[in-house]
Amino acid sequence: MEPWQYDTADDLDQTPIERLRKFPRRPEMFVFGLRLGAAALIRLWLRLYHRLTVVGAENLPPSGSFVIAANHASHLDALSIVSALPIGKVHRVFPAAAKDYFFVSLPRLALAAIVINALPFDRRRSIRRSLTLCHDLLAQSDNVLVLFPEGTRSAAGEIGPFKPGIGLLLAGTPHPAVPCYLAGTHDAWPKGAWLPRPKKVRVTFGRPLVFSDRERGKQAAVQIADQLRQAILALAESRREADNKGKRSGPLQ
Amino acid sequence: MSPSAALESPVFRIYVALAVGVLGVGAATIGVARYLFRKKVDHAWKAYRGWLVIIPLVFAVLFLGRSATIAFFTLVAIFAFKEFARATGLYDDWVVTGAVYLGILAVNGASLVPDPRTGEPGWYGLFMVLPAYVVAAILLIPIVRNRAQGQLQTVALAISGFLYIGWMFGHLGFLANSKYAYGYLMYLVFAVELNDVAAYTCGRIFGRHPLRSNISPKKTWEGSVGALAVSCIVPWLLWFSFPHFGPLELTLSGLIVGVGGQLGDLSMSVIKRDLGIKDMGALIPGHGGLLDRIDSLIYVVPLFFHMVRWFHGLY
Repeated sequence: MEPWQYDTADDLDQTPIERLRKFPRRPEMFVFGLRLGAAALIRLWLRLYHRLTVVGAENLPPSGSFVIAANHASHLDALSIVSALPIGKVHRVFPAAAKDYFFVSLPRLALAAIVINALPFDRRRSIRRSLTLCHDLLAQSDNVLVLFPEGTRSAAGEIGPFKPGIGLLLAGTPHPAVPCYLAGTHDAWPKGAWLPRPKKVRVTFGRPLVFSDRERGKQAAVQIADQLRQAILALAESRREADNKGKRSGPLQ
Repeated sequence: MSPSAALESPVFRIYVALAVGVLGVGAATIGVARYLFRKKVDHAWKAYRGWLVIIPLVFAVLFLGRSATIAFFTLVAIFAFKEFARATGLYDDWVVTGAVYLGILAVNGASLVPDPRTGEPGWYGLFMVLPAYVVAAILLIPIVRNRAQGQLQTVALAISGFLYIGWMFGHLGFLANSKYAYGYLMYLVFAVELNDVAAYTCGRIFGRHPLRSNISPKKTWEGSVGALAVSCIVPWLLWFSFPHFGPLELTLSGLIVGVGGQLGDLSMSVIKRDLGIKDMGALIPGHGGLLDRIDSLIYVVPLFFHMVRWFHGLY
């Protein structure tokens, strides 16, 4: 009789905490269940407490892996973007989160790995390795990588300069990048605040941009980062205009 | 079982004192080895720290009462089965793994609910018959999926995992329904762990002849006989745990722990050796996985349970 072949997990020698810290993570039934439950609760909270609205969802590519590049001013940002996507995709959406902040203490690790499904991005020491993780993730089908190219939360809520890492990742690749403008998250939960306030939050997705024709290099990376920043600023401007128009015409109707 | 019953129970109090004493002796032994004899005690210290968490946790659960005890053993069984499923590769099939989880919940649910006919705590009839239904449910999965390739392995792993880790270990939760729950449960946990320690210690001191060289090369006949001798004495020393036991039950209790504990350990070693792994997991630092900790207990619990039921009934 032929002996059976066992597909033993390759991380048996790791504690559950070590497994959560690792990326890519092996699919875990309990983690998937908890994440799905948390996603449903977060959606409910964002829709009721922050009256979350999503604009431009039709701009999201229907299939294939893509990047969402957004401005960053609050812990609500990643949650809002994930909640703006179909709940069935919750295990396929990977917001990049600072490794030095989210993957250190146990409560933050649990939040990042279980609830947010975060990709640990080492923004201090090994940016190249983190970009390789992002690249590998995009190489698989139907993954969504959420990046905040400012690299940190903006303290004043303004859109700061974009780091060129996103350009290094996207130059010469077929993966579309969807610019995303987050409005209201800074007012709702700014950096340093303990608890979120009941302010409106809006997620606006712009038309996807593709940089497959760009040659890989530092110059192209800076240009791509800047182009995405301009696209997000344009989304912010167009939303502002639409809002003002709505306010002006609102009382007359 | 309840917090007030635990506080009033001399059996519970004696075991708490015993646990504190054992932990104290353990700390002193490690301290003497480390500072007086300058021995490397890293591994022992790691294992000791594991015990510092496990022992108070078990006492806290038993103190909280019957429901908490059954819930705790349910969680232990679920996470132990998860280790088995990850080690064997069964975990990749979430439907079958999920069916076994449901089976484990059902077995422990049967321990929790009262018998509808007699009103006694724990539905013994359902508990005993559940393996048939769970096995039937597991066998149904490949039929519903219209799949045959590789299904014998999947189904066989699921059934053996459920019977061994879910149902056999589930007897521990059912014992929480007994009038003598504190005595039975604490005797089992204490005696089985002592049996493990005795086998290891006797093996280290007197070990010459390998017990089962292809399964667990470090285990020796000397260690095994030493552990059996220690385990046969223990029920007499802990007679207060089951004052209604006569000499025959005490002797059987010792034999069940002494022989069953080692067979449980060896059974898990067979699985690990076949899989080519050292530990089933890494949940408890210094101990390996949950299954590495409870392997002896799984084998012993149903044997002890049915011995008790045969002589005295459960309640």
